[in-house]
Amino acid sequence: MVIDIHTHLTGIVDFMSRDSELPRAVSGVFGYGDPAQPMSTFMAALDEAGIDRAVVLPIDCTTAHGCRVFSNDLIAEIVQAQPRLIGFASVDPNLSDAPEALERAVVDHGLRGLKLDPALQLFDIDDRELAFPVYGRCSELGIPLLIHCGLSWAPLGRSSRAQPLRLEAVVHEFPDLKVIIAHAGWPWVADALMLALKYPNVYLDTAVIYSGTPADSVRHVLADEIGLDVVRRSLHSKILYGSNAPRIRPKRGVAAVRALGLDPVLEGKILHDNAAALLGLEEMHR
Amino acid sequence: MKSVVQRLEIHTGHDTELIDITPRVRDAVAAAGVSEGVAYVTTLHTTTGITVNEGLPDVEADVVGMLQRLAPTDSPSYSHARFLPSDGAMAVNSACHQRAALLGMQVAFPIEGGKLSLGGRQTIYFAELDGPLRRHYIVHVVGE
Repeated sequence: MVIDIHTHLTGIVDFMSRDSELPRAVSGVFGYGDPAQPMSTFMAALDEAGIDRAVVLPIDCTTAHGCRVFSNDLIAEIVQAQPRLIGFASVDPNLSDAPEALERAVVDHGLRGLKLDPALQLFDIDDRELAFPVYGRCSELGIPLLIHCGLSWAPLGRSSRAQPLRLEAVVHEFPDLKVIIAHAGWPWVADALMLALKYPNVYLDTAVIYSGTPADSVRHVLADEIGLDVVRRSLHSKILYGSNAPRIRPKRGVAAVRALGLDPVLEGKILHDNAAALLGLEEMHR
Repeated sequence: MKSVVQRLEIHTGHDTELIDITPRVRDAVAAAGVSEGVAYVTTLHTTTGITVNEGLPDVEADVVGMLQRLAPTDSPSYSHARFLPSDGAMAVNSACHQRAALLGMQVAFPIEGGKLSLGGRQTIYFAELDGPLRRHYIVHVVGE
């Protein structure tokens, strides 16, 4: 069994008419231009990759770009119709009511995590006035935070806002907040690794994209930069499989992890168990 | 002379598969209302193919196996393995493009008496080489 902790529905045509801002948000802000596919194809892609559950992520760019790359309401509606999908919320930390918006998304709409993207939302990760209240509410609600770190391929993204080291004060101050550093923070993998090693509440996902195939990238980061011995000894419960679909097709993301040739127990933890535990899913067997 | 173009949609379900489209091509030819002419079947993608072979599962499996042998899924030698800004996605399907080049993107058959002239063992396949995806192909009928 496989859980994909990191997908976007930006390549799905079904929802483009639901929000007049969504086509611009997808193409101009998120920067996705491949021909859109129906939702049935997204689900078939999960099947083909052997993925049982997938987290779908919105990004609230209201202040930075005047749009949302999927709203919390739409995500909630989608996951209601597709029980295999797990919806995260996104709120705009630049807005003072962001903590309340997050609480509504979780309590009223059943969303199960928070997605933030400082590169695209243009906020400072360590902004105590704006961002810390959001982290605090996230911690109180008991939901994980998946935060973009590292290279932003979004045309309007500013990678300099997404340096994982700036999370240090956050994960120290909110020890109960489980933080997933997306993309393993590439190219700042060493910084992300340091946080994941030191702090029990820091995780890394495998959605690494910069050049070469996903197998090349995942091997480079996990085997060459971090080291598989380090993964086995210290990060066995801290790495989560994520595809970053549609920027990477899920089948290739799963194949990239399997190509590492890990011990089956460790591979199962990365592909499923670690995410299941983090998300509080019941099915812990593989 | 008539020229009738019909765009057909197909939803593939797997990474690589050969899908028998012969009945749909026959229907398209019949719908075109041409007695004598030619039917061109053309895919609109670069990681799919149109091919003809014997309609047996073992033949289909061997064709897929040949494609995978001749164009292995991953190789450090492939150049097409990078981020493509226009797509906003990783372009890492070089093997799929190579397999498409091996199969070709079009077949043509005569139309006689309003029907497609196929050999007894010939099946027309839409070859998905990077699925699952929603795909399209064209049946273009030319004749009188």
